[in-house]
Order: sequence, then C-alpha cells, then structure tokens
Amino acid sequence: MIELRLFIRGDDGEADRLRKVLEREGFALEGTPGEGVPGIRLSAHRDGGGLDDEAARQIEELEVEIRELRNLDVAKSQFLANVSHELRTPLTAIVTYGEVLRDGLLGELNERQREAVQSVIGSSRQLLGMIEEILTYARTGARAIELEPSHFPVTAVIESAHEMSASLIRKKGLSFETVVEEALPDVSADRDKVLHVLTNLVGNAIEFTPPHGYIRVTARRWELDPTWLCISVEDNGIGIDSEYHEMIFREFAQVDSSRSRQHHGTGLGLAIARNFIQLHGGQIGVESELGRGSRFYFTLPSVEVNGHSEEE
Amino acid sequence: MTREKPLVLLVEDNETIRNAFALLLEESGYAVEQAASGAAALESAAAVLPDVVLMDLGLPDMNGLEVTRRLKADPATQSARVVAITGRALQTDQNACLAAGCSAYVAKPVDTTLLLSIIGEQLEARE
Repeated sequence: MIELRLFIRGDDGEADRLRKVLEREGFALEGTPGEGVPGIRLSAHRDGGGLDDEAARQIEELEVEIRELRNLDVAKSQFLANVSHELRTPLTAIVTYGEVLRDGLLGELNERQREAVQSVIGSSRQLLGMIEEILTYARTGARAIELEPSHFPVTAVIESAHEMSASLIRKKGLSFETVVEEALPDVSADRDKVLHVLTNLVGNAIEFTPPHGYIRVTARRWELDPTWLCISVEDNGIGIDSEYHEMIFREFAQVDSSRSRQHHGTGLGLAIARNFIQLHGGQIGVESELGRGSRFYFTLPSVEVNGHSEEE
Repeated sequence: MTREKPLVLLVEDNETIRNAFALLLEESGYAVEQAASGAAALESAAAVLPDVVLMDLGLPDMNGLEVTRRLKADPATQSARVVAITGRALQTDQNACLAAGCSAYVAKPVDTTLLLSIIGEQLEARE
C-alpha cells in the first residue's frame, strides 16, 4: 500500500487537476480544507504495489509546476504592489496642484475654469481610489497582509461603514436599516479588514440600487455554527443573475460588460473582500435574482470561537 | 513667540509632493521650511522652531513616528504641533500617530481643504 499526503494552497483548480491524475491511478482520496490558509489537505492511498514510473514522474512534474506558478504569482503581486505605489505619488501631486488652482490660491478662476479643474481633481481622485484597490489586492496576493485581530462589537463597524457612506446614501434617497440580533457576542477579527469588507458591500449596494430603494444590514448568529456571526447586506437593486454568483468574487470579474460599463471600477472589490474573509477562516457569498435585489453575506468568528482555538 | 506668519516645517521625501504642499501652504499665508528626511527634519526643527510640523510618515531614513517622538522629547521643539500624513485611514495607524505625540493626522490622498483647516485648528489650539 502506498500513501501520499499533500497540501495544495489556493482554491483555483490545482487540487482538482492533481485529484484527477491520482484517481486515474487508482488512488482513494480524502480532502480536508486547509486550516488558516486557503487550500486543501489531500491524503491519497492505494493498495498494492508502488506507483508506476510514469505516474510518479507526472506527479513530480505537477508539483514542480505548481511551485513555479505559486512563485510567479507572488512575484506578479509584488510587482503590482510596487507599481501601484509608484503611481500614487504623481497622482497625489496632480490632485494637490489641482486643489491649489481650484481654491483660487494662485488667482481667481472663472466658473468654466473652475469646472475644468474640478474635473481634473475628480478624475484623479477616482484613479487614486482604483490604484488603492489594486495595491490592497496585490498586497494580499504577495502574502504581505497579516491580520491584527481584536475583539469588538460588530455594530461598531456597521456604524462606521454607515457613516462613511451616509452622504452617498442621502444623495440617492436610499433608506438604510440595521437589524442586529440581541445579545450578540463580540467578533474576534481584524477590525480594519472587516470595515473594508463592509464598506465595499454597502458601496456596491448603493451603486446598484435605484433611487429610493433600501439597504439593510443584518447581524446575527450563523445558523450553521452559532459561535460564528453572519453579517449580510441586502438591497432591492438590480440584482445579479445566478450564473454570475461565483464569478463576481474572482479577480477582475464584472457582471456582463454591456450593463456594467456604466459602473466603473477595477473589479477587485469583491475579490479583496473574499480574501479578507477567507483570511479569517470565514465564508462569503451572495443570494440574488436579477431584478430582485441582492443579499451578500459573510461569516466571522465570534469571541466564543476564539476561546477554543487559543488552546491549540 | 510672535512671527509675521506661522511657520510650518514640511517633512516629505518626495520632491514633487513637497513642492505641491509648499505651494499650497505658502499661498495660504504660511512661512514654509522644508525637510526631505527624518534627520533633516530634526535638525531643521531645532534651528527654526516651527509652529506646526507636517510630517509624512513614510520617510527613507526614519519612521515619521520616530521623528515625532524625538521632537516631543526635546524641550526646544516639543511645543510644535505635529500633523501626520498617514498612508491609510486605518484605526490602528491613527492610534499609533496619537501615541507617538502627533496632534492630528490626515489620510492620503490628502484633501487640501481639510489639511488647511486642521493646520488652522492646531495653531489656534497652540495659542
């Protein structure tokens, strides 16, 4: 009998490729999700003699290939992070000079000049926002992000996310409602990351909900494991066709180009959210129907979970 | 100490950005002294005794927070109000700023209107 134990990082199909090869060679497989890191722990065994040379060689080749791809991926993310950082500096200068001009510090502008300068500033800030997003994404890819967990009530983060989006919500005439289950334990998570995820989901809800719609943020114990919390952001906006429900959490993906053309962005917001939630060991997903609004949800460990894992 | 114009020490390693902020501050009625590194900032602060220090935290030679701690530890310069320019608007970064002795912080990308009002507030609080 031969036994193999492998750990494959990531969740992008490499595990499946390896599974297929092993299954073809008559192995029985068991997979368990990685602890803390996205990936899968694969244990394979087969009765009888050893691998034939061809299969052994194939596995070795695949392992080498996987390692090379991983290294390449980290190098690419590092490059992306460096470039984004470099792009920020000149853009910051453009914005600052623009604001100096706009505010008349170098002489009064007439109305049309002011509008033109305001456009320069507005577009530059939009670009800065996108670069910031790419930088954040690249940092997670380069494994340069570490969690700084603390204990806090999830309502505090919901309030911050609401405050940050309040002017946009008002401008669009949307209603914003928070529903929180009673006696909810604090979450044990990285507060800034959770805020990032929540503002992203609320931002999407604002963007894809027509004027006078509603946004509802709910926090409660997760029904599948009550020591975890489930936080959801629900709207009655344009909704998402079920064929896109998985795809939107991938990098650079946006729903149907013709419709989303009017919604600009890097397409990284949800991929970053997914990374942040997965770093916490949580899950993120969406329930939605076209034309009937969306409900994005994610899970986070409460302090009750942390009490157990600290013993390890 | 009475000066004709309040003096701002601008600590920023990138020349383009430093020039942009210097222009903003000068045209808004401040006298501006510039420093491109932590060491230069400490030297300059001791020499000119600024009212406000506008400090980018990402300096090449020394963390801006460390420069702030040293400014606050020196009796000659400790009355200067330090306004930090932080990379991100993160709670943890903000707490670190205040702990190091900064009086206020502005997140990048800096909104110049906000920056000027914060510098104004700091000068008032100082008097």
